[in-house]
Amino acid sequence: MTRPLAALAAFFILLLPPVREGLEASMSLHMLVQAPLLALCGAVLAAALPARWRERIDRWNAHGIAGLFAVALAMALLMVPRLLDLAVADLRVDLIKAAILLACGAALRVSWARAGALVQGFFLGNVLPMTGAIGQLYQDSPLRLCNAYLLDDQVRLGQALVGAAVLAGVGWAAHLLMKADQGRPSPGANVPIDSGLAARIVWRTSRRSLDNTNMETRIP
Amino acid sequence: MMRTVIACLLLALGGYAGAAWLTHGFQVWTAEGARRLEVALAPVPAPAVPVEGPAVAPQSLPQLLAAGSAVTIVDFFYTRCQTVCLALGSTFQQLQVSLQADPGAGVTLLSISFDPRDSTPDLRAYAARLRADPRHWRFVRAADARETARLLAAFQVTVVPAPHGDFEHNAALLVVDQHGRLVRVFDIAQQQLALDYARHLASGGRT
Repeated sequence: MTRPLAALAAFFILLLPPVREGLEASMSLHMLVQAPLLALCGAVLAAALPARWRERIDRWNAHGIAGLFAVALAMALLMVPRLLDLAVADLRVDLIKAAILLACGAALRVSWARAGALVQGFFLGNVLPMTGAIGQLYQDSPLRLCNAYLLDDQVRLGQALVGAAVLAGVGWAAHLLMKADQGRPSPGANVPIDSGLAARIVWRTSRRSLDNTNMETRIP
Repeated sequence: MMRTVIACLLLALGGYAGAAWLTHGFQVWTAEGARRLEVALAPVPAPAVPVEGPAVAPQSLPQLLAAGSAVTIVDFFYTRCQTVCLALGSTFQQLQVSLQADPGAGVTLLSISFDPRDSTPDLRAYAARLRADPRHWRFVRAADARETARLLAAFQVTVVPAPHGDFEHNAALLVVDQHGRLVRVFDIAQQQLALDYARHLASGGRT
């Protein structure tokens, strides 16, 4: 039980005034470091949820659709420039933002594996182009969109957002291809095929199609 | 599956409500847009901040703004500024020319420095450099950094320190009515609109 405690501690450390101010001093740190760290805390906390709770959540989250929908909505809201300014200027808004990001991380953790390639692809197909478009907007705007941040910071964030969207898309596609490859090893492959591996593949495939278990077993 | 549908509908409602709140009903996307809309909907009384400057005796800002029952176009600047304040300065010079041609308009100009480094002699030198006519265009600064912060917060002016001792700020033309209330915020590029609006107010027009 040390991991969830560490995540909880990290969450509160991220909210400490000096840490908050440091991470919100630049637009890029605010969106690309603070936000993912807060979400990571949520993901680690969600991984430690008791099985009974997970079961109850899963009933409202078939194929991870509700969870990923919530994450997509939150991401759209977080990309409205006014929110960044409000979060810097108003502690209440910043705390709500932190809570939403924590929930986003948790939602991703409990939804991603259940979603399957189709729902994952639909989610990414919406979220990544949105991120890329916002990133392009941040790069192209001749005006500062946030009163609290400098123009060159905004341009840097725009470039990083486009880069992150492309990387995430490529990474997901590569992961998908590798998994598809593992499903049908070619005769020349230097991976020794044993019955154990085959069984694991079959088990994983059946688990993916049924997907009504909330066991989280990692298969090497 | 039914439960998931319900959860998604609730999430969509929540997201819609959040977005509507954040964007003032899908009208604005930036904090600056929100500021301008908020000021237009609800005028902001100038805070009682003590100010002083060349040809301006120490007094509170509302006193200064209400004196002469004129409408004031206000901008915020600092004398060391090499970028946006220069544009603001030339905008104000053009406004001054218009006011010199129409002295009965009941509109005056006021530039407020937010830089604690700026002293009254600094302001005087800056005014001279811009050939400011003190009958139409005055320069002041708040008494100290705390009072400046209070004034900036009330008028939602955000000042960000930039490299080389510069500042970035949301420069704009602020129209303050005869009662010392900030009633409208215009873009720097909208100087004619700001002047026409100030004249309209000065001639007894409604906000």
